[in-house]
Amino acid sequence: MQQFLESIENSAFSTYVRETPAWPAYSTVLALHTFGMAFLVGLSGVIALRVLGVVPELPLKPLKKLMPMIILGFWVNAGTGVILTSLAIVSFSRNWDFYVKLSAIVVAIVALTKMRTYAFADESAPDDAPASPEARRWAKVMLFFWFIAVLGGRLTAYATNIRIQSAAAVAVAAILLLLLATYLVRRSHRSPSVEARV
Amino acid sequence: MEAFLRYWLRWPSVEHLIYGHLWVWGVCQSLHFVGMALLIGTVGILDLRLLGMAKQFPVAALKKLIPWGVFGFLLCLATGLIFVTGIYANINVHPYVVLTSDVFLQLKLLFVVLAGVNLLLFYVTGMNAAVDRLAAGEDAPPLAKFFAGASLLLWIAVMYFARLIPSGKFQP
Amino acid sequence: MEQFLRTWLEWPSVAAFIQRFTWAWPLGETFHFFGIIMLIGGVGMFDLRLLGLAKQMPVKAVRKLLPWGVTGFVICVATGLMFVTGTRANVPMSPYDVIKNNIWLQLKFVFIGLAGLNLLAFYVTGMDSAVDKLGPGENAPMLAKVIAAASLFLWLGVIYFGRLIPEGL
Repeated sequence: MQQFLESIENSAFSTYVRETPAWPAYSTVLALHTFGMAFLVGLSGVIALRVLGVVPELPLKPLKKLMPMIILGFWVNAGTGVILTSLAIVSFSRNWDFYVKLSAIVVAIVALTKMRTYAFADESAPDDAPASPEARRWAKVMLFFWFIAVLGGRLTAYATNIRIQSAAAVAVAAILLLLLATYLVRRSHRSPSVEARV
Repeated sequence: MEAFLRYWLRWPSVEHLIYGHLWVWGVCQSLHFVGMALLIGTVGILDLRLLGMAKQFPVAALKKLIPWGVFGFLLCLATGLIFVTGIYANINVHPYVVLTSDVFLQLKLLFVVLAGVNLLLFYVTGMNAAVDRLAAGEDAPPLAKFFAGASLLLWIAVMYFARLIPSGKFQP
Repeated sequence: MEQFLRTWLEWPSVAAFIQRFTWAWPLGETFHFFGIIMLIGGVGMFDLRLLGLAKQMPVKAVRKLLPWGVTGFVICVATGLMFVTGTRANVPMSPYDVIKNNIWLQLKFVFIGLAGLNLLAFYVTGMDSAVDKLGPGENAPMLAKVIAAASLFLWLGVIYFGRLIPEGL
């Protein structure tokens, strides 16, 4: 297994991407990975925000049209992810955080498909109808596991002790910000007289 | 980046124009003043109305003058670019050096940017839409007054620093 | 001006904080990523609607996502300021020198500035009020589409140059 992984890491393609001057090869692959993440998590997050009733003004059915871009984002990340992994596959294979990231992505994608199924199931539902409880549950699962995936992905670059501390710090900060966001969103829902400013 | 700027900030054709014709710099300066007058005369009047001066004017009427103010700003921008790209014709210093060593020019440009940010915030916070509805005699919302006051201060500061530009130190 | 910037761009307390608490920098990086996701999810979604994606949504409704996008931007600015002022915790250079010599960081700032000008153009040209009237299925005016496309291009450019910053150090 070790030899197989090493052969991938030392293959001509991997070596080329890793060792040519950073721009354009490695950096472009890395930047595309970031773009993919932004669209995959950002747009599926928009659907989740509507499903959870945070942005009720969005009509539910048209959001289905976002799926192609979300799927494109996923495949861009899958492709660039394979390339990026192959550059250092030996150390990645020994990195437990990397497996955490991959598992979280799998769960998030499953949650995304389930949320999509439940949210867009009822063709005849009016645009402003609240989403079903199952859709809401899967939306929460998806958001949580995207959080784990993004956090885990960033922390693959760090040593274990820094990882644990950073994860704890991010969790604390995220909970505080989530509480603040919940308060602000509830307040904005309670005062519909506030005109659409932005 | 420095090499790029050193190359592109200096326009020999503009320098030749200034060298060759004695009237060019003076005309550009006059046009710069005209642009300034248009800008302050329109945007400034709107700012003063928002702050409460001459409230008999409905805001929508004053807003109709703003395109002239924008034209004035563009006039200043164009003549300003002529000054920067052709500065070598007047003082033997490269535009890049002038930009990096004249504090007053740097502050002027910074305050122009701040005025732009102020304008953007005026729109983004919905104050633009809010003041459009102000009839004769009506007071502007406090946030709009803040932006109006800031706008006046920032443009006056731009003029102040600009007046000091020739006193800036140019270290080659 | 140089002396002023050299003094004020570097915050020793931030650099000391980053060195003392090893979770600080990864925390900043992770939230910088969350900010990017919120920016694209909010502002990017608005741009995509103007460009014709999911046209059944009235633009006024999609507007509600913009505060999330702006929040993402603010989070990025805050964490970005931490990176700039605390640079010395990571590299033996002052922030002033990093900014002066790193072309990618410079381009990133230029593109952010251009995105701001693009946003100003959106308002000043009246496209802001024009697109508010767009109901389900309606196309945005061409100028609005240009501004939306420019916005997407510029923000993706910001992300791209941001990713390149470490290569220029």
